[in-house]
Amino acid sequence: MVTRRDFVKSCAGASGAAVVGLRPGTAAAADAPKKGGTLRVGFYIEAATMDPHLSGSKVDRQVYHNIYEPLVTLDTRLGIKPGLAESWSQPDPKTLVFKLRRGIKFHDGTDFNAEAAKFNFDRMKTEPKSIRKGEVANIDTVEVVDAATIKVNLKKADASLLATLTDRAGMMISPKVVQERAVELGRNAKGAGTGPFEFVEWVKDDHLLIKRNESYWNKQGGPYLERVRYRPIPDDTVKLQSLQSGEIDVIDYVQPRDVAAVKTDKNVMVLDVPSLADFAYQLNHARPPFNVKALRQAVAYAIDLEQIVKGVWLNVGYPANGPIPPTSWAYDKAIPPIKRDLAKVKARLAEGGKPGGFEFTMTTNNIPLSVQEAEVIQAQLREAGITMKIRLVDASTLISDGNAKNFEMISFQWSGRPDPDGNVYQFFKTTPGTSFNWSGISHPQLDALLDRSREVGAQAERKKIFSEVTKILQDELPMIFIVHPIEPKAFSQRVQGYEAIPDGMMRFKDVWLK
Amino acid sequence: MATSTLGFAVSEPAVGDRRWDALRRAARARLAPLGAAVLLAAVVVALAAPVLAPYDPLAQDLGNALARPGRAHWLGTDNVGRDVLSRVIWGTRVSLVAGFVSVAIAAAAGGLLGMLAGYAGGRADGVVMRLMDAVLSFPPLVLALALGAVLGAGLTGVLLALGVVYTPTFARLMRGQVLSVKTRDYVEAARALGASGWWIAGRHVLPNAATPIVVQASLSVAFAILAEASLSFLGLGIQPPAASWGSMINAGRGYLQQAPWIVFGPGAALFVTVVGLNFVGDAIRDGLDPRLRG
Amino acid sequence: MAEVVLRRLLATVPVLLLVTAGVFALLHLTPGDPVDAMMAESADASTKESLRRELGLDRPIAVQYAAWMGRLLRGDLGRSIRNGEPVLENVSRRIRPSVQLALLAMAISLTIAFPVAIASAVRHNTGVDRLGTTFALFGICMPNFLLALLLIFVFGVTLRWLPISGYLDPLEEGWSGLRSLILPAVTLGLALAAVITRTLRSSLLEALAEDYVRTARAKGLSEWVVIRGHVLKNALIPVVTVLGLQLGTLIGGAVITEYVFALPGVGRLVVDAVFARDYPLVQGVILLIALGFIVSNLLVDVLYGYIDPRLRRL
Repeated sequence: MVTRRDFVKSCAGASGAAVVGLRPGTAAAADAPKKGGTLRVGFYIEAATMDPHLSGSKVDRQVYHNIYEPLVTLDTRLGIKPGLAESWSQPDPKTLVFKLRRGIKFHDGTDFNAEAAKFNFDRMKTEPKSIRKGEVANIDTVEVVDAATIKVNLKKADASLLATLTDRAGMMISPKVVQERAVELGRNAKGAGTGPFEFVEWVKDDHLLIKRNESYWNKQGGPYLERVRYRPIPDDTVKLQSLQSGEIDVIDYVQPRDVAAVKTDKNVMVLDVPSLADFAYQLNHARPPFNVKALRQAVAYAIDLEQIVKGVWLNVGYPANGPIPPTSWAYDKAIPPIKRDLAKVKARLAEGGKPGGFEFTMTTNNIPLSVQEAEVIQAQLREAGITMKIRLVDASTLISDGNAKNFEMISFQWSGRPDPDGNVYQFFKTTPGTSFNWSGISHPQLDALLDRSREVGAQAERKKIFSEVTKILQDELPMIFIVHPIEPKAFSQRVQGYEAIPDGMMRFKDVWLK
Repeated sequence: MATSTLGFAVSEPAVGDRRWDALRRAARARLAPLGAAVLLAAVVVALAAPVLAPYDPLAQDLGNALARPGRAHWLGTDNVGRDVLSRVIWGTRVSLVAGFVSVAIAAAAGGLLGMLAGYAGGRADGVVMRLMDAVLSFPPLVLALALGAVLGAGLTGVLLALGVVYTPTFARLMRGQVLSVKTRDYVEAARALGASGWWIAGRHVLPNAATPIVVQASLSVAFAILAEASLSFLGLGIQPPAASWGSMINAGRGYLQQAPWIVFGPGAALFVTVVGLNFVGDAIRDGLDPRLRG
Repeated sequence: MAEVVLRRLLATVPVLLLVTAGVFALLHLTPGDPVDAMMAESADASTKESLRRELGLDRPIAVQYAAWMGRLLRGDLGRSIRNGEPVLENVSRRIRPSVQLALLAMAISLTIAFPVAIASAVRHNTGVDRLGTTFALFGICMPNFLLALLLIFVFGVTLRWLPISGYLDPLEEGWSGLRSLILPAVTLGLALAAVITRTLRSSLLEALAEDYVRTARAKGLSEWVVIRGHVLKNALIPVVTVLGLQLGTLIGGAVITEYVFALPGVGRLVVDAVFARDYPLVQGVILLIALGFIVSNLLVDVLYGYIDPRLRRL
């Protein structure tokens, strides 16, 4: 039986470096990584496309982080460390210079260099179906300085850009593959990436296969695995039982209700990975009743976050004080989550002109956890004299209603981004037209702070700005924040060397099978 | 009863000769009171729910979630600590309403359409029956799903969706009746005497058609209840926190290993009710007219 | 005969038109659209608009329908919005599990129904008969999602004999594949067995009362020979009818079973497509299912009319 300590030790040993937060020196006790084997992974849905520039789905990223590589990447504390770029500098706030690693080849044999990097950025900005456009909107032009250096000129200072480049927006695809078969790239990524694994085949509805890249540039650590095989298993219970029965080796998520039971299973190792996500409810500021701030606050004070996190989420998550999760450097633990206070509810109700309570409808997603949470909130509000009706809709309708601002209170679950800006800016900045600012909040002071947070470079100062933002958010309540979920990942005993990064992406470079 | 989409009624062969017939009916008759008892019990439970249910079906008790069946909670508690027995009791209302109302809608709509088709004949007949065939060619669950998505979730949407799904059966039945009655002597006579179509419809067609319609309706109610449960199981239908047996089973699905009572409590209620309704339906069919088996 | 068949086939055209128009209307009436669903984590309005334009979603509904119909007449069922692949390819990938499930369910149902129905009919009105009819009744009344969960609970969770997880192709994986299909096939098969038991029992009873049977009995032939030789063949006709009609429903309609057992079949394909508002996929699949249903009905009618001369005149 593998104890938790053994597992974590093996992580330290495999990656060849001391994992931050662990005592150094425990690496020696771990077994040496073995080469070979097929890792069988179960995710809840299939990837949608193998083209990172056209990808809009979270599951796609899981595969990308093994076959493609971004310019920069994340460490376990969400710090930015070198990826395909070995270093970077900012001569002025509107310029980023990347020095690229030399000698790296794409899986199809072509060179990765500055030309390739520029090609990728240009494609992100100009390809009509590119979903990365918004993410690289602040990039004006990219220049090739020499074969291993690119200069990125920004339209405005943007402190969050570097973090954005740790994901799809920074991933490099082989220009040759794009030029020769761009249309096919979505289904067949052979030769397209530089990562520790390369694409082999994708049989839709069945499996996606990647294999070890024998000529991977990074000689430290892995890849050890021969192959990784992804299978879509939409049903959570089935997925978990496949793991427990040994049919697969890794799953990306264990439902809160199963976590306690699975932790007692000797065949399985569960890793609690705090995520970047924030789950909340948006309140529509443009129509009654939530156009009245006091009534928004009444609802916020009537909700018992602790009870929800304990009773619904079974403590597989943290009560939220705002959009920024505890995993982030910008998290301010000095700001507590809004605490339930029935006296304050009464006061706010009176202030809002509804001393006898009021009625509204909450729109939420038709999945068990969301339904349960809604029912609990409904009961909590009932105690406070507020009547909430629940309207269940499917995911498409939810998005459509949100975009059309056709709701009073609506569920909003954001998977989160490494930079706090990714959890904040587009949701609270005044934006005419369709956007994720579903609440319609337009607060000049908030706007100014949000813009400042992008211009300022120093982390300490940005953190102060985000604290200000959080305080305003708790007052104005465009959203009522509920929880920052933990994403428990589960592995069979044979899996060694996994390093958990809070963005929830499962990178298998240094993983090996016993 | 099996029907092809092309209007060609394929009937089950009639049961053998008199001797077997009578014996069969006797066997059935013994079960009929049982079925009636179940149905009566269901109605009583539904009506008396506020009095019968030991707890408020909406009362949550997060600290006592997933409790095993025991003295305090005869069927245990669900994932937010609500008493399963109380929710099953209240769920009876939803199921009975879903069953009876949707079939009523279907019988009314189908009956009207069938009468129109049968009477008017020709063009109208063709159009109506093609429409009915179209509805029948749809996989019923998908049709109900799509309709539910359009009509919005909630009991009303489910009732309408199920009503639409069952309409063709009744339309076909009514049309058949109208066609057979239309050519009867007394109808010809009435028409010769100048009676209006409506009068004939009311006086002759309806009473004769009533029997098979009632028979079909009684059989359909059980299936309508199952259908509502299926829709709620898929997540449409009754909105939380109200309880429908189907939505309870769906919610309990993830807890099958830890707390199977959440699934099997409402499951048993559903099964027993449907069986009872089937007994009653069969008895009505055999009682009213054993000839009508197709 | 051929003329009748042809007339029937022609009569199905307006039905199919109605079905497709109905689907179209329903889909477009439902709130939400595929682009929003696909780009759930992006609020980039301009990319969404251009995607909508490319998919033709910005044109009036009637125009879209006409365009779809036009492509259909040229044999093009369109492409799924979500994965860009032709609808036919999507369907053909999913058809295999659905067909295998349907066939296995039928096999199971026949294996159960035949002995039960025969025993019931032969031992008419004894305890055996009542057992048989009760079984048939229960089979019809049991909601199939409940049965599925019951089977999962007993065989998957408690006894751990069978996998409750997904699908392995028996043609490729052999025994493991078959094991993955057993529970869902039994779920579907039991309900089907109930229906067939009833039908077969009734028709057996009728056939057993015929004169030629009495004659055979009088000649001293054993009951079993009588049944096998004469009765069964005639009694099978309505059973074939039922099976034929059910096959169409089984393939496209086993939605709940596919859902609960996570099988990548056609039924779930449609439901998932509806949830994702993947219009072309939903339209294409529904059309195919309706077509399949109509064709199988037609075949059954023809077969029935052929076998039973009494009904040929219709």
